[in-house]
Amino acid sequence: MKIVVIGGSGLIGTKVVARLRQEGHQVIAASPATGINTLTGEGLAEALQNTDIVIDLANSPSFEDKAVMEFFQTSGRNLLAAEINAGVKHHLALSIVGVDIMQNLGYMRAKKAQEDLIVQSGVPYTIIRSTQFFEFLAGIANQATEGNTVHLSDVSFQPIAAEDVAAFVTGFALGTPLNGRVEIAGPERFELFDVVARYLRHTNDPRKVEPNGKPEYFGGGISHTSLVPAGEASLGALNFESWWSRQAQPVA
Amino acid sequence: MKKTSDDKSNLSLQQQGEMLLALSDDITRIRDKNDLITLFKKRIKGIFYFTHTIVTLIDYKDETYTPFLLDNDGSPIRNHTRYKEMVHAHFSLNEPFIQAVLKSEGPISFFLADIMDQPLSPPFLRVNYEKGVREILMTCLMKEGRPMGFVHIYTDKPDSFTPAFRSMIKAMAPQLSSAVSNIIKNEELQNKEGEKSFLLEFSNNIAAVRTKEDLALTVRAALGKLRPRNGFVIRRINEDNATMSPYVYELTNKPDPKILRALENSAYPISDGLQDRVLNSNIPMLFNVDREISRGIRSAYLQYWKTLGFTDIVGIRLRNGETNLGILFLDIDEINIPLLQGVCSQISIAMANIMANDMVTRKQDEQAFLLDFSSDITQARTRQDLQDAIFKVLDRTIHTKLAMLRVIDDDGIHLSPYMYDSSLFANTPEHFEKMVHGEVTVHQPHTAQVLASSDGVMFNIEEELKSGSDYAKLWSSTGLKNVYGLPLRVGDKNIGTIWLLANRLSQLILKGICAQIAVAISNIQANEKLLAYKKQLEVENDYLKEQIKTIYNFSEIIGNGEEMQKVYRLMSLVADSTSTVLVLGETGTGKELIARAIHNASPRKDKLMVKVNCAAMPANLIESELFGHERGAFTGAIERRIGKFELANNSSIFLDEIGELPLEAQAKLLRVIQERELERLGGKQLIKLNVRLIAATNRNLEEEVRAGRFRADLYFRLNVFPILLPPLRDRAADIEPLTQFFVQKYSRNAGRKIKKVTPRLLQQLRSYTWPGNVRELEHLVERSILLATDGILDEVYIPPSTDASRQNAAILLNRSLDEVERDYIIETLKRCAGKISGTGSAAEVLKVPGNTLHSKMKKLGIEKRDYVV
Repeated sequence: MKIVVIGGSGLIGTKVVARLRQEGHQVIAASPATGINTLTGEGLAEALQNTDIVIDLANSPSFEDKAVMEFFQTSGRNLLAAEINAGVKHHLALSIVGVDIMQNLGYMRAKKAQEDLIVQSGVPYTIIRSTQFFEFLAGIANQATEGNTVHLSDVSFQPIAAEDVAAFVTGFALGTPLNGRVEIAGPERFELFDVVARYLRHTNDPRKVEPNGKPEYFGGGISHTSLVPAGEASLGALNFESWWSRQAQPVA
Repeated sequence: MKKTSDDKSNLSLQQQGEMLLALSDDITRIRDKNDLITLFKKRIKGIFYFTHTIVTLIDYKDETYTPFLLDNDGSPIRNHTRYKEMVHAHFSLNEPFIQAVLKSEGPISFFLADIMDQPLSPPFLRVNYEKGVREILMTCLMKEGRPMGFVHIYTDKPDSFTPAFRSMIKAMAPQLSSAVSNIIKNEELQNKEGEKSFLLEFSNNIAAVRTKEDLALTVRAALGKLRPRNGFVIRRINEDNATMSPYVYELTNKPDPKILRALENSAYPISDGLQDRVLNSNIPMLFNVDREISRGIRSAYLQYWKTLGFTDIVGIRLRNGETNLGILFLDIDEINIPLLQGVCSQISIAMANIMANDMVTRKQDEQAFLLDFSSDITQARTRQDLQDAIFKVLDRTIHTKLAMLRVIDDDGIHLSPYMYDSSLFANTPEHFEKMVHGEVTVHQPHTAQVLASSDGVMFNIEEELKSGSDYAKLWSSTGLKNVYGLPLRVGDKNIGTIWLLANRLSQLILKGICAQIAVAISNIQANEKLLAYKKQLEVENDYLKEQIKTIYNFSEIIGNGEEMQKVYRLMSLVADSTSTVLVLGETGTGKELIARAIHNASPRKDKLMVKVNCAAMPANLIESELFGHERGAFTGAIERRIGKFELANNSSIFLDEIGELPLEAQAKLLRVIQERELERLGGKQLIKLNVRLIAATNRNLEEEVRAGRFRADLYFRLNVFPILLPPLRDRAADIEPLTQFFVQKYSRNAGRKIKKVTPRLLQQLRSYTWPGNVRELEHLVERSILLATDGILDEVYIPPSTDASRQNAAILLNRSLDEVERDYIIETLKRCAGKISGTGSAAEVLKVPGNTLHSKMKKLGIEKRDYVV
């Protein structure tokens, strides 16, 4: 089958592309770097010719509210229009658990808009809503650091390994379109500050984590359970420890 | 299986070094693919043997490699059936052969026979083998530490890839890599340049576009360079904003002209699932005709495209600002987005300009036409004029015919058909006739709606049909979709309704036309009313003239006595002619009556006779009264005045009491009679006249002439046809009928019934001398009727002959010679204006010497105060 992976050079994309190629599919890893730009439409129509499945893993280059909305709406429209033309049989997109209850955040509004476009497009689809990735822990720690202290919320957090996400994406992409949403998450649930502290300990990071008791994520107010699946979710195989053990250890 | 580069070198290291140096110079000069091929073919082939070489490039997006540079002359596989396929193929990087190449440190060679049939091996190995190639030397080209492609060198002779060859290729590899990178960069640059100059040229050409035809030429030329397989179509969104129609197109396969015309004139709904998609997409859309058809899009053009051989088509919306104008459909499958968007934005601007231009021209035409219409309409004085103007304007501006124009009747309730074009209903003439003459009131539902609306109402015929209206049935016979009913208003008063049948009409024009029609109709109605009033007045006038005639005609003249019979005969002789008539007779004999009778019996009887009483006018005004005067002719002449003569032109003038006319006026009158033309007082213009003159006097004009009070020449002019009216005392036979006539007239006027006139009275009347003639009789009868008490007229109050007259007669009879002589001298002196002697003097008239007259006057006591008037 011919599969186009939008955002094929990213964290999840590379893994998905590799998995699909391993299974012998003809895969196009689409990104502006490979001449396929969903925002401008460049290369899009050609790349989608005779394509069966499109997996959209692209992320906005800017996280400013307006730019994010613009990115997901425009590229979503362009991509779906091209898919209709090309007769694509399955559109799979990666979204975020809790996206519709965190509409106070611009990024979440944009992801919701992307989901809505997919649902309305008429292209058979599957939307995977995932929790945050273990790979985000460093970034979460950095954005909350003041001096030598990391001030973090105690919201529930159930991170999943990128490898597991890639496996779910590959699996759902090759399956029948659900024309609906599924949720995926890591196998363990933490409090945000706790898992970050654990991560810092593993990386021998000297920073201290202080729970601030505020329900927030990246500075945006959320509820304590916004970031974790509310109902049934497919859980990844890797927990924190097994994920950590697979990471290339920094040379001491 | 593998041959590594440890074979013995044929060349010394020094030779190798020199050669490499020379090659390296050449490589750095490589700018394009040809340069690189030449390098291999001319330079390297001169040193080492091989059959051909190609360069492939890695595409990381799908982990494949694909031919980039081909040796078109040297390749032995060019005539292989799979050659074309090879040229465009993408070969996977995930197979052992190419992985071995990627892992190898330097050039690596393979015997084709060993590897070509491995399960995942790329097909080009076998293709080459089948054309005699036996061995391949693969070298990785690197860029930024990552493989970017491969140099494939093929040979049909074993052992061609000597260690020297290998080491040279290995040494050259980095330079070749950068050469290939340069070529790619160069090509990109050239492409960009090409695009830019293309767009620039296109932009320049587009800037000169003024009309749709210009645009078609320019677009054809430009899009031709993009080499669309089967052509292109530009569709434009129609004014209804719901459909699109072909605007400019170019088709390689010339289709059947009939079909083409049908397509050209068709309007495709925008929301057909494809056009709307293109219009909503901000990027060019590549779609497949078959797939769109199988998706269920039924638009006719898709089927048609299919028959023309269109498979994949790019659709790009043409948009000016935020407004979609249309779509460019282009039969290509390589989408160069910046180029296409550049082209499309230019086309859009040009289209918008042309459309704006067209609209302006159309508006101007419309306005010019409305102006024409307006002038046509202002000139329309009759219904026919208006109808011509309306039919023309409807046909020209909105291409429709007038179904019906109804005007509200004076009762304000009914509407009558005013104007219509029955040719519109040629299919059902009987039905139309019936409906036309059917009664319509302002309460009829359609009419009421229209009259209540501000700008008219549009009725959909199909919907109206459902309601079962007879009108709808009539309307539907025309095959048109809508009926437009508009109120005709002047100010805010409804004067009627106008009905038009059409599929679509421009409201603005309609409104303009209706306003003008309304004004024109109300003008014509006013005009028609005016004409009606005028006609009525004319009739009344005729009637009045008739009345006047009955008062003054022959029958008014009573009396058939012998004397009158003579008069009548004379009258009938002269009436037909234009001769001047002089009516003579004592006072009260009915001179005016006779004059009128002559006029009424003449061919001029349709015009009124003008009567002037010469005695009744002040002497200083009589001239201006008769001949008119110009403004400022004398003090007080503040405006021009038409004289009685001018007024009587083509009719008759009756100059009563002509004997009283002052001498000065006589001279002028004479001239008018002689020349038949006059000059207004103070005027310079001569006015030609055709006037019949009837004059009357109770004086003896001959005597007047003799007395010098009347001009002889004028007298002769007037005395062409004298009619002498007999005095009443000579008409004893007529006294009875005259009396009866006056009795009737005045008893009616006075409201008294006079049953009888006694013979005694008649005898009495007949014996009277009637110095006042008929007028005296009339007044006498009138007086007697007023005095009569018992309905019997047996007494008239004939004035007794007075003593004074008797005395007068006595004085006249018993005078001495001296007295007679004295009176006569005084009278003569008076006539001669007091002149005693000399020419024209009294002495001359009396035929005595002046001295003798003087002494006579002294003797008889005649003093100056006796004869100076």
